[in-house]
Amino acid sequence: MLTKINTTYLLITTAVISWALLLANLLLTAESLQQQELSEPMLPYIHNILLVIFIVSVFLAQRNSVLNLRKTDFLGYLWHFFLKAAIGAYIALAIYIAYVLSTDFIQITSPVLLHLVYHTFFGLLVVFLGKGFYIWRQLLLYHKNKFLQIAWDWFELLLFGTLLLTLLNFDYTSYIFLPLLALLAFYILFLCTNLKWVAYLNFNKKSRALVLLGAILLSCYIFLWFFYEFKSNTQLATDYTHVGFLLLAMLFVGLYGLAAFLVSLFSLPTSSVFEQKSEDLLNFQRLSQSIQQGQSEQQVYDTVFDSTVKASAASAGWLELDKGTEKQISHMLNITKEQIERIRHLLLAFKYDTDHINNNLDRNPGFKELELPWQSLVILPIKSLKHQFGVLYLLKDIENGFDRETVNVLQTFTNQTTLTIENLRLVAESLQNERYKEELKIASTVQENLIPKTFPSDSWFEISTHAIAAKEVGGDFYDFLQLSESRIAIIIGDVSGKGITAAFHMAQMKGIFHGLMQQDMAPSEFMRQANSALSRCLERTSFITSSLYIIDYRMKGFVFARAGHCHTLYYNAMMQDTFYFQTDGLGLGIIRDQSYKNHIREMFYDYNPSDVMVIYTDGIVEARAENSNEEYGEERLRYMLEQCYHLEAEDIKFAIINDLQTFTGPNTIYDDQTLLVIKFKADQQTV
Amino acid sequence: MKITNEIKDSTIIITLDGELDASSSVILDEELSNPEIMKFSKILVNCENLHYISSAGLGVFISHLQRFEDAQIKLIFFNMQDKVRNVFEILGLDLLMTIVSNYEEAMTIADE
Repeated sequence: MLTKINTTYLLITTAVISWALLLANLLLTAESLQQQELSEPMLPYIHNILLVIFIVSVFLAQRNSVLNLRKTDFLGYLWHFFLKAAIGAYIALAIYIAYVLSTDFIQITSPVLLHLVYHTFFGLLVVFLGKGFYIWRQLLLYHKNKFLQIAWDWFELLLFGTLLLTLLNFDYTSYIFLPLLALLAFYILFLCTNLKWVAYLNFNKKSRALVLLGAILLSCYIFLWFFYEFKSNTQLATDYTHVGFLLLAMLFVGLYGLAAFLVSLFSLPTSSVFEQKSEDLLNFQRLSQSIQQGQSEQQVYDTVFDSTVKASAASAGWLELDKGTEKQISHMLNITKEQIERIRHLLLAFKYDTDHINNNLDRNPGFKELELPWQSLVILPIKSLKHQFGVLYLLKDIENGFDRETVNVLQTFTNQTTLTIENLRLVAESLQNERYKEELKIASTVQENLIPKTFPSDSWFEISTHAIAAKEVGGDFYDFLQLSESRIAIIIGDVSGKGITAAFHMAQMKGIFHGLMQQDMAPSEFMRQANSALSRCLERTSFITSSLYIIDYRMKGFVFARAGHCHTLYYNAMMQDTFYFQTDGLGLGIIRDQSYKNHIREMFYDYNPSDVMVIYTDGIVEARAENSNEEYGEERLRYMLEQCYHLEAEDIKFAIINDLQTFTGPNTIYDDQTLLVIKFKADQQTV
Repeated sequence: MKITNEIKDSTIIITLDGELDASSSVILDEELSNPEIMKFSKILVNCENLHYISSAGLGVFISHLQRFEDAQIKLIFFNMQDKVRNVFEILGLDLLMTIVSNYEEAMTIADE
């Protein structure tokens, strides 16, 4: 398979060989010309074939090399053209001078030398045209559309088609082909109008491009001059100006070069406008990308201040940022703090707030008095609908310094800044939220650790627990404390409200439970003391409901007190009855004085083996399905226990929770839910 | 939640309509914290259309309970639905607050 590089080498080799053969043929013809006075070259068809082969191979080689060229800018292409091909013209010029000197002064006239020189020129010309042709193609097709691409492809095809004329030895000047060639020339003119790339050069590059284009055009002229100079030389065996292809290619290369030169030259004065516009665009882009680049607000203000000063060519200015109620000057240019103060006072006096343009400060008596070196002032607020971030002041030392166009651009800048700053703050806010979430997660873990996972397993009772918080942290809790070998205290509670506040109170309650129960007291006494402790730290609107049970399995009984907590559900195995203990008791933190002790009752109960006690929070009985007012309710809970009291504690719990979740449907937890199932067992073994 | 007031002489009747949850209890708290309310000798709360009361809602009443008692203002609930009454009872509030079945009864108690 032929790779691209191999193809190029092959083409170059073909070109060199055909060039050498052409030269040989030419010399041969010249020789015979002298002897036989023939006006036709020998073997005209072979000459033409070699000529076409040479031209085609050089053009194809250039096509390959130029298409492989990856230049980042247009100047690169021009440099490449100049260094690799146009310089040939200057080499040719040097050779010509040497030739003329040698023939004139040393008086050597050799047809061989003449042909050698002429043919070398020809070779250099073809290389120049090939290079130029394809370099121009790259530039011409910049920002191409489909139409342009097709137009070019046809042009290339037609141009190579004219080689047929040479191949078949037609005279292109004959009247049949002349109109066709003229049409092709018009086609070239049309193609030469595609000069979009020039617009993308800035002032500097345009000047350099002008120099290069000038050098290239000069090359064109040198080549043309040579060939018309030599045309008159009768000693020559052939005349390459008869090759229509070369003429057309020269026409194209020259015209396009000339067009580019003229367009560059005349767009030179306006290029600074385009430069400013493209810089504005870049700055907009920088502003909008500053979030991704993790820039700070300060950097955004830096960008906007620099950009607006440049965009408006302001001679002075400053940027004020709103820090709370204060205004802080963050950027200053060619102005003193004192001057700023004076202008500010004046603006305040005139009640000019924001969005103000004054293009003739001297006509304003106040400003005239200040004797400032500026004539124009524009004030632009950087603000969104809700928030003002800052105010930008720009000054110019000429009248009417800020025209509509400039102000529009400046406003676009300030608007973009507002957007960027707002987005930056949003990003920061969401990061902060993310941190809060993380901390809530930690709180959640901490709280989970506050709730015991395992109860002491004993032979005389089974206990199974269930707890879900509606949010990350909840207000429900339960705990236990082994008071003595045969006695255990179990507490359940619910703090009013949800979330962090509830979670803190819940932790407090746990502390109170462990603190007080170390002293082993009766449940009612515990409630009284807990109420007293909580009265000092609970918020005004907060309260806690709780139930405390002390189970004594040696005595086969328990005592409990209910402080506003949900009634305890009980199944008595002996009587085969399911009921709620109806006891009085006021929640904790409702009455915050000594009278609380009148509101708490204690109850003793002797249990039988297989009795079941269900302790829960209101999240269970008040659970509702989505968009429904019906609560799960005590009745339904009692019914469930009636159905499954014979099961193990764990299975009773699952039965109730399953029923509850069927009732509410998935994902409808509005309140924390806690459920404890205790089943007393027949078999007692004292440790 | 809709809270409406009706003033009859030295009595203010507050009607609660809907669910008294965490957000609506803030409005109720504002209503009860209003210094104007201390001018009345009786506060009647009509709970006919109160479907649900959360612990936050209860907390609002609890927090004002002592203040009203000190100012000798009677706080009386009437027309309370069983479901809501049950919540008051479980918490033990029925012994602290006056809950009666209807408006007439509430007015009689209030006039005592």
